[in-house]
Amino acid sequence: MGKREYPGALIVVEGIDGSGKSTQLYLLKRWLEIRGYRIHFTEWNSSPLVKSATRRGKQRRLLTPTTFSLLHAADFADRCERQIMPLLHGGYLVLADRYIYTAFARDAARGCSPHWLRNLYSFAPIPDITFYFRAPLDVAVDRIVAGRPKLKYYEAGMDLGISLDRAESFRIFQERILNNYDQMVNTDRFVLMDGTCRVNKLQKLMREILEERVNLDQFAPKKK
Amino acid sequence: MKSSPKNGSAKSSANGEPAKGGVRRKNGRLEIKKNGQPETPARFYGTALPGVKSEELSGNLIVIEGTDGSGRSTQISLLTEWLESQGFAVETMGLRRSALVGEDIDGLLAENSVTRMTLALMYSTDFFDQLERRLLPALRSGLIVLADRYIFTLIARAAVRGISRDYLHGIYEMALRPDLTFWLNVRPEIAFDREFRKSQTISYWESGRDMSLSNDLFQSFIRYQSMIKREFEYLSKRHGFIELDGEGSVSEVNRVLRKRIASHLGIPRTQYKPSHALSHLWR
Repeated sequence: MGKREYPGALIVVEGIDGSGKSTQLYLLKRWLEIRGYRIHFTEWNSSPLVKSATRRGKQRRLLTPTTFSLLHAADFADRCERQIMPLLHGGYLVLADRYIYTAFARDAARGCSPHWLRNLYSFAPIPDITFYFRAPLDVAVDRIVAGRPKLKYYEAGMDLGISLDRAESFRIFQERILNNYDQMVNTDRFVLMDGTCRVNKLQKLMREILEERVNLDQFAPKKK
Repeated sequence: MKSSPKNGSAKSSANGEPAKGGVRRKNGRLEIKKNGQPETPARFYGTALPGVKSEELSGNLIVIEGTDGSGRSTQISLLTEWLESQGFAVETMGLRRSALVGEDIDGLLAENSVTRMTLALMYSTDFFDQLERRLLPALRSGLIVLADRYIFTLIARAAVRGISRDYLHGIYEMALRPDLTFWLNVRPEIAFDREFRKSQTISYWESGRDMSLSNDLFQSFIRYQSMIKREFEYLSKRHGFIELDGEGSVSEVNRVLRKRIASHLGIPRTQYKPSHALSHLWR
């Protein structure tokens, strides 16, 4: 992966659905925004570029584990080349809700070779901090199932043919992803965050870690 | 050149899994390779796609590579007719023909705003969609697949734009190794003439305009195609291409193609005269 050759910083949150990561990143973003810092927020799978292809692939169920993975990589490459890299070079604090580790955990759970996936994303800059929000499987699955009337086909991992029951398929799929995440804690230097802690307590901890590891002054508004 | 063009790619298989034994051609002659190779090289460059068994793939993959204006599509039309007349069922594949993203790439190319890595990965999505949903089913059914370009064009185009060759070979390690890869080699100047005559203009991408090589379209085309050609020379060595003089007449190039393919498939006769429908191609 590329060496750091830019003044910006990249902060990432990862974790399975329902782990509380998006809530925490939102609060972190609000805190930095209110203080007027130079930040940019980016999400996994958000480029208009490949949206039509992803939608078509999902609707018509054309996607295989390989093309599913490649399409997301193309989407990420677009965001990386047109947003993340220019902003890092421009001295921004970039906040990413999910990053390449999502692909490593999820696509490997679909059967892609981990070695092939690492190569596929080797153009991505390494984050300064990766917060990994970990919640026990039951807690996370309950949060998701309670909030959604119907799990989507690919979301539930139905393409894997694990189970005909969507809820059960989702649970098994999420368990595999969770295991893959756990294996990256040491290899990819994740900062482990207990997703069962109280929201404000967790946010306080997240802010402390950020201030400790990243010199936030460089992103502060310039004094006139 | 020996009868097996696969010999040249032995080097790349050293990086992946060792060549598996028992990969036997079901149609065609089951003859032992002359230069004493104990087994056919693995059908994949590296890791096989999940759930694919090489021994199920009884068909043949024949790749025609070459720049625009090298006569690829003409030759594929003629070869299809010839093979069908010999009783072989033919399937074709080519760039941007996937149901999944073929049209999306057309859209990206029309806008000229896409970045190099995104385009490379969209092309690889297009490739693997065709590989999994067109090529593999065809090979399982024993068809002959004629590929109008293959991973080599995709690797060459991305490599001249600065994407690492190792990275690209890593992505395509799950691609199938062709039975035969022909490279219709033409000089960039000849390709320019042919393309210009055909469409009265030169495409933005075929002249590498995104690379800011020259404001003059002719210069840009020649420089870009020369860079591509150098990549092909390297790929040709690494993957054992059968290089043909693409500047020869259509009938002459076709004769050589038929001869090589016939010997690979075990077709005894190679005489062919195009039907009325295709006679206009026969120059």
